[in-house]
Amino acid sequence: MWADLARVLRLWAPRRASLVGALLVSMGSALSGVALLALAGQGVAAGLAAGGIFGLAALVWVRPLVLLRPMLRWGERMASHAAAFRALADTRVWFFRRLAERMPGGIGLRGSGDLLSRVIGDVDALDRLYLGGILPAGAGLAVLVAVLALLMGEPWLMLLVGLPLALALVLPLVLAPAATRAAQRAADHRGGLRAAVADPLAGLEDTLAANAEPRAMERLRTADRELMHSQRSLVRRSAWAGAAGGFLAQLAVLAALAWGLAGGTATAGMVVLALFLSVAAAEALGLMPRAGAALASAAAGARRLFEAADTAPPVEEPAAPAPLPASNELVLQGVRFGWRQDAPVLDGLNLTLREGERVAILGPSGAGKSTLAALLTRLAAPEAGTIRLGGTDISQLPAAELRTRIVVLSQQARLFDDTIAANLRLAAPGAPDAALWRALVKAGIADLVRSLPEGLETRCGEGGARFSGGEARRFALARALLPPAGILILDEPTTGLDAAAERAFLATLATACEGRSLLLITHRLTGDEPLDRVWRLAGGRLLPATA
Amino acid sequence: MRQARGQAWRLALPIGLGLMVTACQVTIAFLFARIIVTLLGFASGGGWNDLAVAGGLMLLSAGLSVGQELAQQSAGEHARARIRAALFDRLLELGPADRRGVGEKASLLVDRVEALDGFFARWLPAMTLALLSPAAIAIIVWRADWVSALVLIAMGLLVPIAMAVTGIGAARESRRQLDVLGRLAGRFVDRLRGLATLVQFNRAEDEARALGEAAEEFRWRTMRVLRVAFLSSAMLELLSAFTLGYLAWRHGALLTGRGPTDPTLSLFCILMVPAFFAPLRAFSAAYHEAMSARGAAAELAPLLEAPPEAGLLLEEVPRRVAVVFNGVELLHAGAAAPALSRLTFALAPGEVLMLVGPSGAGKSSVLRLLMGFVRPTAGRIAINGQDVTRLRPAELRRLSSYVGQRAHIFGGTLRENIALARPEATEAEVLRAAEAARVMSFAADLPQGLDTRVGEGGHGISGGQAQRVALARAFLRDAPLVLLDEPTASLDPGTEAEVIEAIGRLCTGRTAIIATHSAALLGLSGRVLELGDRRLADVG
Repeated sequence: MWADLARVLRLWAPRRASLVGALLVSMGSALSGVALLALAGQGVAAGLAAGGIFGLAALVWVRPLVLLRPMLRWGERMASHAAAFRALADTRVWFFRRLAERMPGGIGLRGSGDLLSRVIGDVDALDRLYLGGILPAGAGLAVLVAVLALLMGEPWLMLLVGLPLALALVLPLVLAPAATRAAQRAADHRGGLRAAVADPLAGLEDTLAANAEPRAMERLRTADRELMHSQRSLVRRSAWAGAAGGFLAQLAVLAALAWGLAGGTATAGMVVLALFLSVAAAEALGLMPRAGAALASAAAGARRLFEAADTAPPVEEPAAPAPLPASNELVLQGVRFGWRQDAPVLDGLNLTLREGERVAILGPSGAGKSTLAALLTRLAAPEAGTIRLGGTDISQLPAAELRTRIVVLSQQARLFDDTIAANLRLAAPGAPDAALWRALVKAGIADLVRSLPEGLETRCGEGGARFSGGEARRFALARALLPPAGILILDEPTTGLDAAAERAFLATLATACEGRSLLLITHRLTGDEPLDRVWRLAGGRLLPATA
Repeated sequence: MRQARGQAWRLALPIGLGLMVTACQVTIAFLFARIIVTLLGFASGGGWNDLAVAGGLMLLSAGLSVGQELAQQSAGEHARARIRAALFDRLLELGPADRRGVGEKASLLVDRVEALDGFFARWLPAMTLALLSPAAIAIIVWRADWVSALVLIAMGLLVPIAMAVTGIGAARESRRQLDVLGRLAGRFVDRLRGLATLVQFNRAEDEARALGEAAEEFRWRTMRVLRVAFLSSAMLELLSAFTLGYLAWRHGALLTGRGPTDPTLSLFCILMVPAFFAPLRAFSAAYHEAMSARGAAAELAPLLEAPPEAGLLLEEVPRRVAVVFNGVELLHAGAAAPALSRLTFALAPGEVLMLVGPSGAGKSSVLRLLMGFVRPTAGRIAINGQDVTRLRPAELRRLSSYVGQRAHIFGGTLRENIALARPEATEAEVLRAAEAARVMSFAADLPQGLDTRVGEGGHGISGGQAQRVALARAFLRDAPLVLLDEPTASLDPGTEAEVIEAIGRLCTGRTAIIATHSAALLGLSGRVLELGDRRLADVG
């Protein structure tokens, strides 16, 4: 747990100045609280001893503190929250970047509902590391040191009062590891609840079509119960810790009084001071044991974040990248690959795609056609054999540059909840409207966009929900045609298009490609495609197609 | 907030325990005061006995406060569970008619309902305790020194005023903040789902930056809420510090013998200040939770308060159905042209209808109307002579097996995914359906066969395979009306031929409507209905 928290702190290093600054304000604010009560206590004590004159002097000092303390308190909270939020925003973005790097092919078996929970929920839990852990600890330590210093004159009193207070300060460190497990469970269950909710909602039509609402509801209730069960265990720990904190702070008062009772009347002034100091310390230190629970949930959040972020990248970037070759000739030799061990999808596959050539690969669904596309964009690396672009092994090329040469329209291509124009410009930032329209015309969807009242500015909805499956597919196609990449891989580009539209699209492939190499991956051909060669994928290798 | 009514008894326990904690604290303070005064030599009586009793009360108070917190938690749990279930029910009932994205809905159900926790678990008990505990303390202090009590009461009354002044702004702000959180969540899910697309176009970095900006906006809004929230807690701090300063001054003078009050009671008055403000502090902390809960509640209320969908129930699923569309029109809200206009056709029991036409001609709309996902804007749809809009949508769906264009594969095993259509089906029936939809032809090669786990969104199997799983559901469902939307769109010709043969068997004896582009499917015997291009129709 400590290792995870230390790593979080390293992530926050760029925000060190504001985080430390807020900590100092927080310590100042806590000390002003101690000063307020210490002066009040001293006023009373001295008043008792010397007939009120010295006491009133102490009380004069109380007046500015009465105003200073609330101001410091407000400043502390603003500064600390501002610093924590900045650090958290950094963490979110870091996490997204890591995922883009580690899961370039998509989120995979981790449901996205769960991933979302990681990012929003777990990152938010991290603020407790700072706001609930580091800040109170800093303030508590400052208060403890001040109390000890003020009671220095009476070593035994100092010891008796200081011990329970010190115990309250270290209690969270003792409690945190055990609470971490409970917090981990609570965070897991919150992710589970989100998944239980998101899955049936993502497949809403299928849920409804199967009249599966009662089962979805049952799943929600189960996930909800689990979440609450784990939350209760967390609350129980926090409640006990809180009660322990309050008790220890009062114990300090009790100890001061016991010391006074044992020492007699002469000690009364010091006892009153110790009493007021203990009351002041109670506010700062009494809440400390709860910080254990806060640390625990922060650590649990950190654990889960790092688990996802540390997924090994599918393909390592080359240490010494080779320059991008001039030629776009693509040569695959003896390529073997399988998603699972001992079940190769491709085995001994050879293929040459010369510059400007148009080649189709036919095969039934599941034969490994999409796998081939993944290998070509380095979402996976072949177990054996080589893939060369212009004579350079693509494992020697930086993935980002490789992707400027090879553009894939995959089956997972997704429209984002943004405008049509923004979705298209993903592929070519800054492309003029005219270029967008050209791509839309080639993909055969320009007429639809023209008929929309908002044209290019129409929003697509989540996953392109605003449009039919065929329409969404054509927008994705237009997007793939936009960038000036030398090699275009179209993975089932015409899914969801009607026969006439499919034929029209395939017939225009020659103009759409404008001299680019084309790898058309499909399960059927209409016969209208202007192709140079057709292969059939079977048994993990390519055979010349007869049809 | 209306959800809170009728649950008051659940709050009696935490409030009772809270009052007992206050009683313990008052007694402890009195004992402490007496000991100190004894130490000072002003009186006698306070001694080791008092100390022992105080120690015991401290333990008791600690135990009581644990009990109070657990009781509060339990009250909050019940409230959240009830609201969450009601909300989910409503979202399922609304179905595709609710245009919110999945991320946003999930955020409503998880985050906003969690945000309500502060209201039930802390605000409601804290509100009562903030009234009762200080009042009790003020009465006790009155008996000691009425001036001190008056000061306490005056300051106590200023607390809610200060909070109301700052709280009005906070409520509005926190609603806006939750909006931003919802959009932030939606955007994250959307972008994470399409991570592969972003990576393909080397845009992950830009998107990361954009997400950073969105997070920055969220931070900015949160700080605006907190600025006000912290102001009111600073006010509380000020009132508490002022009270303490004044009482210390007053009793510091009194103690020297110039006042009539008993020294024990003087000290007691001062020691009561933190105890007096403690419940008010808890109230202030919970107040802002309540305000943000109110923001969340405002979002949830329209969903929770909408009347449940009315409609008739189906006594039993008929074995044969006839479908009639009569001048049916469908106009989506905000759309310029209708998705369907004046569609009329009749389908006898057992008849198969092929819907053809260019994409966007409304083929899917016909099926979605029959599934009750959308309601016709004009015209009449009848099944066996009965208007379908009179049926509750969930009941209407009992008549049909439906395979949509984007079949969703749920997290779980292939078997669970198929059995979803009819949970009571036997193992053999599931297997038969899997065979018929040619799921077995790929599942047999998987290490765990039908028990292979597939992720949310069907990761681990291809688009064609997902579609076959969805078809297997339709086979298993065994409903009198079969509605298929492009059932073979992502199948290769070899598999397509096998699946079409199986669809032929599925449709035997059932009424079926199949939207398709596939020439091969049109080989099935059945009528063909060509839908016009809606855009051409619009121009004409």
